[in-house]
Amino acid sequence: MTAKEIAGVLGVVLVLVGLPLLLRAWQAGALLETPYPPGTRIITLTAVADGGIWTKEDVVGHNYWRRTPTRVNEIEVNQGDHIVLRLHSADVLHSFAIPVLRLGPVDVPAGHTVELEFDADRTGVLTFLCWQMCSPEHPKLRGHFLVKGSESEEEDDEW
Amino acid sequence: MATATQTQQGFVPVEALEKPWRFDLFRRWPWLKRLVRMRSFQYFLLLPNLFMFYLFLIAGLFGTPVGSSNIIIMYVWILWWFVLIAVMMPFGSRIWCTMCPLPFFGDWLQRGAVIKVRSGKSPGTNNKFFGLHKRWPKKLSNIWLQNFGFLLLATFSALLVTRPIVSVIVFGIMIVVATGLALIYRLRTFCNYVCPISGFLSLYAMTATLELRSTDKDECLKCTTKSCIRGSEDGWACPWNVYMGKLDRNNYCGLCFECVKSCPNDNISLFVRPFATSDIVIRGYDEVWKASIMLVLAFSYSVVLLGPYGQLKDWANISEVGNWGGFGLYAIGQALLALVVFPGLYYLSIRLAKWYAKIDNVSTKELFLRYAYMLVPMGLLAWIAFSVPLIMINGSYIISVTSDPMGWGMDLFGTAHFPWTPFWPEWVPFIQVPILLAGFYYGVRGIHKVGRQLFSDPVQLHRSLVPPTALLLGVTLVFMKLFIG
Repeated sequence: MTAKEIAGVLGVVLVLVGLPLLLRAWQAGALLETPYPPGTRIITLTAVADGGIWTKEDVVGHNYWRRTPTRVNEIEVNQGDHIVLRLHSADVLHSFAIPVLRLGPVDVPAGHTVELEFDADRTGVLTFLCWQMCSPEHPKLRGHFLVKGSESEEEDDEW
Repeated sequence: MATATQTQQGFVPVEALEKPWRFDLFRRWPWLKRLVRMRSFQYFLLLPNLFMFYLFLIAGLFGTPVGSSNIIIMYVWILWWFVLIAVMMPFGSRIWCTMCPLPFFGDWLQRGAVIKVRSGKSPGTNNKFFGLHKRWPKKLSNIWLQNFGFLLLATFSALLVTRPIVSVIVFGIMIVVATGLALIYRLRTFCNYVCPISGFLSLYAMTATLELRSTDKDECLKCTTKSCIRGSEDGWACPWNVYMGKLDRNNYCGLCFECVKSCPNDNISLFVRPFATSDIVIRGYDEVWKASIMLVLAFSYSVVLLGPYGQLKDWANISEVGNWGGFGLYAIGQALLALVVFPGLYYLSIRLAKWYAKIDNVSTKELFLRYAYMLVPMGLLAWIAFSVPLIMINGSYIISVTSDPMGWGMDLFGTAHFPWTPFWPEWVPFIQVPILLAGFYYGVRGIHKVGRQLFSDPVQLHRSLVPPTALLLGVTLVFMKLFIG
């Protein structure tokens, strides 16, 4: 093989291997300009209108059409966690809110990802829901964060 | 084929008609020839395309399922489609085929190289190819497979242009088939006879303002090596199996420029020429039906995607509505219109032309094939007119997916949240109407030129043009009604 041919093949290999690695690195947050502070807990939630589901699973091109994602009703977090919510809509315009924190409502447009942050500084139950009449199964689009304290301090606080 | 070389009564030699001008780009800009002759020229065009195409496939699989936020849908079916049909085809001929990534892996395996050329012996060539190198069956050596393939894809277009995964599956199948065929059959069998995109590229390339031709045909006749088609140590045998000495239409030249590299006489050049003027010969029924299918699909898409007919939209949109009965009606109706009704109307216009002009020196078949050229510029410009609102109304999605190609929340260029913004929608009909009228003009002008080759009597010529022109006018008016109401 000539040097040109080797360079040509390497170029193709670079594309075929490099691109997925680059995208994976972005997904893992390695390419963020301003990384999240240490201890940040990142939770990805995707809204699916069909069935009225919030899910932590990836709802993407290859699986959206063949299976129903697992519904998330309760997400446990620890008191003191800094939470970054990455909210995605797999189909139509949704809207996310945690009323007791006066967080949101924030639009989650179809196919887009938006971020919300909050501090879980007291124990208790934080209900989250879709704030937008998105589909006939809109009322099912709700769940809650269960903020747990340590064993000694645990209290069921009123948010 | 009825050309001026036939000596039937009434034929006028082509040479007697004025030849359209052409401008030799290689002579004007020698650096362009040097660039094209570089072995890595095609590779450097192809590699960025491969990167983008690979990104599209990954986005289709792992990006958002929402079409308007996924780069595969927005870039392929809005941006690429518009650029292909409105820019590349009319101005660049089959320049897309130069850089198309679909046959890349097949070529790689068949040639055993991505850049260099391998001299040696494989049947009919001066190059060493890998694979079985079989001949494609003669019965399939036409564009019928491409016709039916494109019609099938178009029938499911509501799925194709909205569901990323469907686009991935279709492109995936095309890559696998192209690669498999490259290992079994010689040269670019997939591109020549199977690829559904290639079918309409071949037809509309006839209108293009660019052509790759031999500078002096006599030189080709004297050439003993025929390196353009057989290959040499400088260039691969023509992947499209084209001999430059006989090439007189753009249809089946994929502009890979291998012949420019391999020609020992430096006798091949790239020319600029007038739009829809030079290649005016339709050579087979497969090409006539391709022209009909494309025109009917432009009509059908305009009705379904742009028109106010909700019922038809529901029928076509099988994935959302799920009305299989309605979808069946839509699919059968579209196929009948493209394969039977419109060709039937065109045939009727030819019969009328024969009767009205009292033609007895040209057969119905001959006239049917030759006058079908009018459908080529008309079809291309109808497609461009149809594509204008797509880019002007939905083009803003391209801006947002450029920053967030997967819908993962990226913001690469700060435009991820660019809102949907139609660009000057009030101007759309004012752009579409002149484009349609240009299609009508070039169609009529084309068959007028064809008619001058067929008939020496001006009365007979003009009478023969009346029925097909009336049909073309009807087509133009139907499109106008659809576009401007």
